[in-house]
Amino acid sequence: MAGSFFRTKSLWVIIGLVILFLFPVFLDRFYIYLAAIILLTGLCATSLNFVLGYGGAFQFHHAVFYGVGAYSAALMVLKSGLSPWLGFVVGPSVAAILGFIIGLICVRLSKLYFGMLQISLGSLVWAIVYRWYSFTGGDDGIHGIPLPDIISSPNGAYYFTLIVTSVSMFILYRMIKSPFGSALQGIRDNPVRSEMIGVNVRQQQLLALTIAGFFGGVAGSLFVVVDNTVFPDMMFWTVSLELVIMCLLGGWLSFLGPIVGAAIIVILRTYVSGVTVYWALVLGIIMMLVIFFLPNGVLGYLDRFMKKKVRAR
Amino acid sequence: MLEVTSLSKSFDGFKAVNNAGLSVKDGEIVAVIGPNGAGKTTFFNLITGVIRPDSGKVLFKGEDITGLKPYQVCRRGISRSFQVVNVFPRLSVFENVQVSVLSRQKKTWNLFTPSSRLSVDDTEKILENVGLTDIRDATSTALSHGERKVLEIAIALGGNPEFLILDEPTAGMSPEETSRCIDLIKQLKEKLGITILFCEHDMEIVFSISDRIMVMVRGSTIIEGTCNEVRCCQEVQDAYLGGIDVCLM
Amino acid sequence: MENIFGFISPSILSQILVGLSRTVILFIVSSGLTLILGVLRIPNVAHGSLYMIGAFMAYTVSHLFGGGNTGFWMALILAPLGVAALSFLAERSLFQFLYEREHLMLLLLTFALSLVFGDLVKLIWGAEYRSVPVPSIFQGYINLFGGLPFPIYSFFLLVMGPVIAILLWLLTNKTRIGKISRAAAVDRDMVGAVGINVNWVFAIVFVIGCLLAGLGGVLVAPTVSVTLGMDHTLIMEAFLIVIMGGLGNVWGALLGALIFGLTQSLGILIWPQFGIVFPYIAVVVVLIFRPTGILKSTW
Repeated sequence: MAGSFFRTKSLWVIIGLVILFLFPVFLDRFYIYLAAIILLTGLCATSLNFVLGYGGAFQFHHAVFYGVGAYSAALMVLKSGLSPWLGFVVGPSVAAILGFIIGLICVRLSKLYFGMLQISLGSLVWAIVYRWYSFTGGDDGIHGIPLPDIISSPNGAYYFTLIVTSVSMFILYRMIKSPFGSALQGIRDNPVRSEMIGVNVRQQQLLALTIAGFFGGVAGSLFVVVDNTVFPDMMFWTVSLELVIMCLLGGWLSFLGPIVGAAIIVILRTYVSGVTVYWALVLGIIMMLVIFFLPNGVLGYLDRFMKKKVRAR
Repeated sequence: MLEVTSLSKSFDGFKAVNNAGLSVKDGEIVAVIGPNGAGKTTFFNLITGVIRPDSGKVLFKGEDITGLKPYQVCRRGISRSFQVVNVFPRLSVFENVQVSVLSRQKKTWNLFTPSSRLSVDDTEKILENVGLTDIRDATSTALSHGERKVLEIAIALGGNPEFLILDEPTAGMSPEETSRCIDLIKQLKEKLGITILFCEHDMEIVFSISDRIMVMVRGSTIIEGTCNEVRCCQEVQDAYLGGIDVCLM
Repeated sequence: MENIFGFISPSILSQILVGLSRTVILFIVSSGLTLILGVLRIPNVAHGSLYMIGAFMAYTVSHLFGGGNTGFWMALILAPLGVAALSFLAERSLFQFLYEREHLMLLLLTFALSLVFGDLVKLIWGAEYRSVPVPSIFQGYINLFGGLPFPIYSFFLLVMGPVIAILLWLLTNKTRIGKISRAAAVDRDMVGAVGINVNWVFAIVFVIGCLLAGLGGVLVAPTVSVTLGMDHTLIMEAFLIVIMGGLGNVWGALLGALIFGLTQSLGILIWPQFGIVFPYIAVVVVLIFRPTGILKSTW
């Protein structure tokens, strides 16, 4: 039975991927762009959820890794004179190193100290990028980043994003289902007991934070491909908040929750911003509603709903 | 196997454990008894590295393990269960034990093999030993108190310990669950050859399964000896059993 | 004077004074934050927004009263009260229903509130820069150490700091509510068990904490341009300060604010472009040696 369940699951994944691959055939340019943004934002939220929902770490400023990944990739492409493809290796790597460093400082601390210090250190990175005008372009950011031909067209960028996101999501999924992931979830549930069964909690968390930083950086590098720009507000702390809301909204105990949340938030943001400048107000209200009425997220709610139905039968 | 000498720890001047000593031989079941607040749990915390002792030494199989971190102590072969249920609430019963087995087999750095294929047999064997096979897929929050206490022990067993520390294993259990739990503890010793150190309030259990008993009062060891020695020790009767003549028991 | 301070350059001295007056603002705001942290255990991200709202309210009140001295004094009284009223509303309508829930949810609620407050400020006051005039009695400079001008208003701030600190000490040590809240910080079940309505203790502490944020906003208003976004920098600084001092410890907040203010102002002297790095280095150094802050945390 477990086997057939597995097969239906992979079947759904394949159907989903095929539909995503066909998007450029029947959608116009704007929607392709939107879909690409949803995918990479979803990847970023999933990488956050890797440590937040599965690891129980209060990673409140995840956008820093997204932004640093994007900046590193962009600057590499722009200033090194080496192959632009190298930028997509450097971006995530720099983000991973940053994840490791911030993790090293924060991981010794208890949960709340962790969260508060993480958000503060993240905002320091933002401030440095913002002020380092000569290198990062300051608050203007960097525009018109030259890319290899194959990914510079809208469709090319979309396919590149789709492939990289799918592969990354698959890797993250495998990691969550691996013994490493089991131990990580154990730490989330009960760090004291984890230590008592022989898990080196700090090292385990540190690796998780580094991995999360890496995939945050991957998402950032993808943004460079899709949007051709980088700007400091990518890593402003309200963006990190949006990422946390995506996880919460979609459901942070399910693997696909964050990407569902990302889709909802990105689509809402796109349309609400067209109508009013008060997007933050709308976001805040959505967030309150979710906290009060949907604490397990959309997928958590559906899951429970389905189970009730099964039981009623 | 375990040799504890003059272990002390004070919190803000209060001597929680004061000059406590204990020795446990291979294959024994040793009980630590003492009135509430005697420092039994702190004593266990000191042995397992949760708290660092101010002074004293803990030797395990001849090696000094004083002041090691809990995960290091665990890797040497000492596991423990907790007085208050201390499991992984969002994981299933099977996963609870599996995490522990994976950790012992040093597989937690494996990032890519699915857990569902690893250490399954070992985990199932433990579940069978403790009698939790029927509810292996239940979430641990859905269990009864007695079942959770057994799960507690099962998690500790996941570390494949040579030495097991149980902190009030039967606390809060129904009489029926208690007798099953006692059978389990006896089996662990006889079948698996695990050395056991435990603390317990129920004197009947203590005297029925222990080889030897250590009595702790106000953080200090009063006496360490066989059941009969402890029963008839005047000091124990005064300090702990309230002067009732338990020799008659 | 010149002889006494001959070994330190005057620019360093004046920078220290600037740092100290900044310390006062930081202390007032973060003492409120740490009070709420200690008793209610909420890391109130909306604290920065309340500080900003305090500053904007000061602008409105001072202009209502003609912008002069009366305006300033009225603002000093009315704006913090306005912020307190707002926070009371938020506590009663939202926070009180979440005390039993996971901590993360409370934290996220304060996040949500900070977003809402930020946009409400944009809605009411707009995105332009506003300025609150320095009251005439505090206008001007005095010359220090042989000719360094130092604003009189900063001296007023330097006096306000200790005054607030003493008032806080009296509040937490000499009043009933202070004693109850200190007990609640240590063991809230116990306080409930002896028949005190913990719910209202929480509400009062929350409002007092937020009032301090508003007060900080009013006091800072004449020295900066009041604008959107002033909440973001401040909340990060306040977070670092309470982390450094020990969560929930008011004196820790004082110590943290002092370290932060001084490293920041002297850091700018050393490396003008990235002076902001120095307070962060201080925090990291403190945490390496004391992972729960310098003074005893109530956590």
